[in-house]
Order: sequence, then structure tokens, then C-alpha cells
Amino acid sequence: MAIIKCEEFLSRFEPWMEGERHADIQAHLRNCPHCHAIVNDLNAIQAEARSWSSSETDAPERVWTALREQLEKEGLIRDTVLDSKRSGRQAASARWLWGLFGGVPRPVLAGAYLAALIAVAFALSGPIHKKVNEEKWLEGTRIATSPLRAELNTAEQNSALSLASSNSDVSASLHQNLAIVDNYIALCEKSVREDPQNEIARDYLYEAYRQKADLLAQMSERGENVQ
Amino acid sequence: MPEADAIRLAQQGDAAAFERLYRLHNRRVYSLCLRMVGNTAEAEDLTQEAFLQLFRKIATFRGESAFSTWLHRLAVNVVLMKLRKKSGTESSLEEITEPDEESGGPRRDFGGPDLRLSGSIDRVNLQRAVEQLPPGYKSVFVLHDVQGYEHNEIAEIMGCSIGNSKSQLHKARMRLRELLHEALRAKAREDRKAASADAGGED
Amino acid sequence: MSTRRFVPVQWSSQVTRKAAGLLTAGLLLGVSAFASPRRQEQHFKVDARPVITIHNPNGLITVKAWTKSEVMVISTLASDQVAVDAEQMGNRVDVSTHGLSDSLSPDDMRTDFQINVPEDAELQIHNDSGSVSVANVMGDMNVETVAAGVDLEDAAGYLTVKTVGGSFQCLRCAGRIEVSSISGNFRLIDLRSYHVWAQTSTGNILFNGEFLPNGTYSLKNYSGVIEVRFSPADSFDMSATSLKGKVNNEAKLTPPTHQHHFVPKWGNALFGTFNQGRAKVELTSFDGTINILKRD
Repeated sequence: MAIIKCEEFLSRFEPWMEGERHADIQAHLRNCPHCHAIVNDLNAIQAEARSWSSSETDAPERVWTALREQLEKEGLIRDTVLDSKRSGRQAASARWLWGLFGGVPRPVLAGAYLAALIAVAFALSGPIHKKVNEEKWLEGTRIATSPLRAELNTAEQNSALSLASSNSDVSASLHQNLAIVDNYIALCEKSVREDPQNEIARDYLYEAYRQKADLLAQMSERGENVQ
Repeated sequence: MPEADAIRLAQQGDAAAFERLYRLHNRRVYSLCLRMVGNTAEAEDLTQEAFLQLFRKIATFRGESAFSTWLHRLAVNVVLMKLRKKSGTESSLEEITEPDEESGGPRRDFGGPDLRLSGSIDRVNLQRAVEQLPPGYKSVFVLHDVQGYEHNEIAEIMGCSIGNSKSQLHKARMRLRELLHEALRAKAREDRKAASADAGGED
Repeated sequence: MSTRRFVPVQWSSQVTRKAAGLLTAGLLLGVSAFASPRRQEQHFKVDARPVITIHNPNGLITVKAWTKSEVMVISTLASDQVAVDAEQMGNRVDVSTHGLSDSLSPDDMRTDFQINVPEDAELQIHNDSGSVSVANVMGDMNVETVAAGVDLEDAAGYLTVKTVGGSFQCLRCAGRIEVSSISGNFRLIDLRSYHVWAQTSTGNILFNGEFLPNGTYSLKNYSGVIEVRFSPADSFDMSATSLKGKVNNEAKLTPPTHQHHFVPKWGNALFGTFNQGRAKVELTSFDGTINILKRD
């Protein structure tokens, strides 16, 4: 084994501090009190620094208070319950949405519809070998989706009214795409009725409902802004 | 509330979720800021600024790194910007502007008086020494030796390579050693002066 | 931190006579003299990875990257009934357009933006109608429109795009791409993305890009055409299903070798491996046509 000098040790001992062990480095450390002292010093520094983490404390409460004020000022946070000022100004067309979901923003609203559908589907989605299960699934789907369809239809009418005075290009696009999605829903529902076990058709149906909820939320937002 | 839920709700503006994330992470962020700037008032301001930036950008968080890593990256950037403003120089995140670094290796200090540090290091003098480190060294030292981050995490936080993180840590420790030795020598000189003044007084 | 230069075109002292002429012409043509476009320019110094948000009801938004640590916002407002607010908070710049009175026409509300940002900027853009173009920006992006088309070139990062009817084109992009629409068409050309998720209901999807090893590519529509082009060097595991439409395939696929591969039981489906099967490709349509074609 080659014997190394202090200069070489100093240029190579960084990996030693990271845990790499080499016989020539080890041998030098055994025989050189000066380099040994350097390693001891670095270990002592590291050990002292490590002990600091046990004395870490939370930031004073005033930091959160000031932060929260600033976040509210910038409109980045809001409480999930609507404040009274906002509800007074809200368009009637949007109230049902907020009423149902307490001011939950659009992606969560759309997700809520989908979640409801999926929950029902999973509840009845065991292996559908027997006709009894199939009928149960169809009935279950109808029960789950009927109120949903009713809510969506009501929302659609309200949204249509609220959109009357907004950007006509946007309004036309939203209405046109709503008709596309309605058609899509009708065709998917037909497929599911014909073949309840068809997972792909069910996926498309859920996706169609989600798209419709999302579109209606967009229409309501624009109606609300106009008012 | 689990962190993942808090992140999701905070992205939608939920106040309780924001608070939850703050409570989960404020200690580490505050400690990082305190170690870097050395005083509580500035550390409080920097903590607030780091969280403010976090909550402004939270909608863009996609989960491609750990949330805490993302937060600490923001916090480190906030602190380093503050330190750069104080020093009046526009230096890069990987600044290592020690003149002896031109040679690419640690300072050659063998042959000098052999003062042992072990037993002489305490919180106060190490904190003072850390405060004198250049910002880049300071960040890596605090993240690794104080807060316990691994080099791969530090690389992600600092936007540097793992090798760079290791190298800067080593240089930070060597520089701290020099600073502590200088402090020890200064103290030894003071003690000798005081002792000879006492001896002169007694005469 | 912002430098604002407001240049209302019609206020130049040199065009006083021209203004009179304009007014006369305006009256004759029935066009208000106050409808001349106004140009506004603002600059914001920023640090690394700034966040820029833009909320605009109608107009052309063009975003380009430059090498300065600065965000420049040039807005061209169609009328004086609309105003642009551009504010900076820390490393975030928020730009929004709002009307100064009720019942404005879309033409009155129209505001075009030309914005230059650092390459690593993160963008959040909402533009209902008009168009959005972004070039050479590498930060994460979220773009939402109703009728506006979206065009990204040489972008990277986590890119999410949502339109109702607007089309989407992505050229030479990298990173992750997620795009959804109801009737918009998608063109994904020369991509080097490791994750693509594209879903439109009645639009067409054209994908002519690389299939990176371990990449995942999911293209889905209800009706319309999904067209994917491949080259002999590509390597992917493919599943293509159209419930009521056709699947046309030019790739010589070998049957799947792994046991837990999902086997669709309905519609026209094909699945298999091309070369080593390094990327994963899923193509799904309800009653549209899926074409898997060789690249020219």
C-alpha cells in the first residue's frame, strides 16, 4: 500500500468525510496527528451543528397573523362558507351551485358530480355475472343519475339566462358545446342501457357528465361576473 | 388533515388548508432562515415572504418533487436574494468567492499552531462563524449539517449537482474550521493580554 | 418596480389636424373617433422563475421568451371602455383586463397582448376568445380558453391546456402535456414529451412526435379521428380501442407478452408491442376512427 503525504490526504479526504473508506487514507490518519486533528475538528463542527435541530422552534404566531392578512388582501384564500356580502350580490343562476357545494370552485364541483357517479358505480360494480346484478346496476345508475340529471337540467336553464348579456362569441361557443355534450350524454346513456357491463361506455358517460358540470360552472361564472 | 389533502385544498384557496401547511412546515423554514441570517426579526420576515411566495404559486405545484423540497427551494431563494441585496453584489447561487479556491482545493494550513477545536466549539461561536460564511456555503451547510437534508435533496433545492453540493459542504466546513481557529487564537491573545495586565497591576 | 409608458396614439401634438380629419371621417363613416386603439407598455424586473398570470376576455395573446430578467407587457386596447391592470407582487406579475362600463361588445373588450418573459417563467393564462401563442418558454404553463385557439412552440415543463371549442397546436414541445377540450382539434407535432394526455370529445387528434422510452401517451376522443404516426425506430406497447368505429393499423405489432395487460372486451381493439415496447400508448375512441400510420 502506498504511503501518502499530508498534501495528498488534504486533496482526497472530502470523500472520506462522506463515508468512503480507503486504506491509504486510513493509514495516514493513524500516523499523522495533524490531519487526524483536522478530521476531528470537522466531526466536532458537524456534531455541534446537528444538535441545533433539537432546539428548533416554531416561528412566532405574529408571522402567521401577518401572513394570513396578506393572503386575504391578495385574495388568495377564502373561507369555505360564503360571506354575507358575497351572497347578497350573487346571481340567482349561480346560487344553486354554491348552495350545494358551499362555494367550492369549479374543478371540485365537476369532480363532485363525477365522484357521486363513481361511488354509485363502484357500489354495484362487483362481477356482474347474474342478470339480477345487472338489473340492480341499471336501477342503481338510474337512481344515482336521475337527481343529477335534474340538477344539471335546472342549472342549464339558469346558466342560459345568465349568459344572455355576456360576450356573444363565448356565449355561442358555450351553448354549442353544451349541445355537443348533451348529445354525447344521450348516446352514452343509450350504450350503457344496451350493454350495462360495458366499462368503456360507462367511463365515457361519467366523463360526459363531468364535462357538462364543468361547462355549466363556466357559464355560471360568466353570468355571475356580468351581474 | 393529511398534507396531500391540504395541498389540494390550498390550491383551491381553502384557508384552513393554508394554515395546515403553514403549521406543518413553518418550524423548518423559520430555523433555516434564522441560521442563515442570524437574527429573529429578519428570520420572521423571510419566513413570511417564503410562505407568501409558496401560496402565490401553489396552484402550479404538480407533485413532481416532494412538497417540502419545493418549499425549501423557495425559502432558500428568498434568503439568498436577501443576502445578495445586503452584500450589494449580484452573485450566483453557487458563489464560492474565496481567493484560495482558485487552486481548486482546501487551504493548506498544516504547519501552523495546532489548536484543538474539540471542546471549544459551542453554539455561540459556531453560529458566529456560520454567519461569516458566503451565502452559497452557508446554505449547503445549514441544509445538510443542521437540518439533515441529503445531498440529492440539497441538489434539488439549490438547483446544483450532487457533486457540487458535496464539494460546497466540504469547503464550508473547512472554512468554518479556519474561522473557529481564528476566533480561538484571538481569544488566546486576549487572555494573554489580560493576564499580563493583571500581572503588571499586581506589581 | 414597473416602468410604464402609456402611448395613446391619437394624443400626439403633431396630428392635431389629422385628428380633425379623423373626426370628420369618423362621423361620416359612423365610427366613433374615440374607438382608436390605445397602446400601453409596462416593464417589471423579476428574479428566476417568475409567475405571470393573464386574465383577458377577448384578444390575441402572444408570449415569447427573452434573455432579460424582466417581464414586458405591451397591451393594445380596442377602446377606452376597457382598462388593463398589471401589478407586481414579489416575483409574480398579474395582468388583467376589465371593462369600465356594463354591456360592452366583444369588440370593445378586445385587448391584444404582447408579453416577453424570462425563459423559465411560469404562465397562467385565461383568454376566452381570440388566440394564445407561446414560444420558447420552458416553465410550467396552465392555459384555459373557451373559443380561443392555443398554439405552443418549443415549450417545456408541465403544460396543461383546457379549451371548450378552441383548437390546440403544440410544436416541438417537451415535458408533460395535458390537454382537454370538447370540440377543439389537437395537433401534436415533433413532440419530445415523456407524458401526453389528450382528450377531446368531437375533435380530431393528430400525434406525430417521438415516443420516448418509458413515456406514456394517452389520446382519447368520442368521435372524430385519432391519427398517430410512427417510425421504424420507435418502441411502444400499444392498445387502440374504438367502441363503435374503426381501427386502421400499419404497425407490425407482436402480441403482448406480459400477463396483466388489459384486454378490452368491447368494440374494435388491437393491442401489441412494437419493437421493445418501451413507451406506452393508449388510443381510445367511442365511435371515431383510429389510424396508426407510418411516418412519411
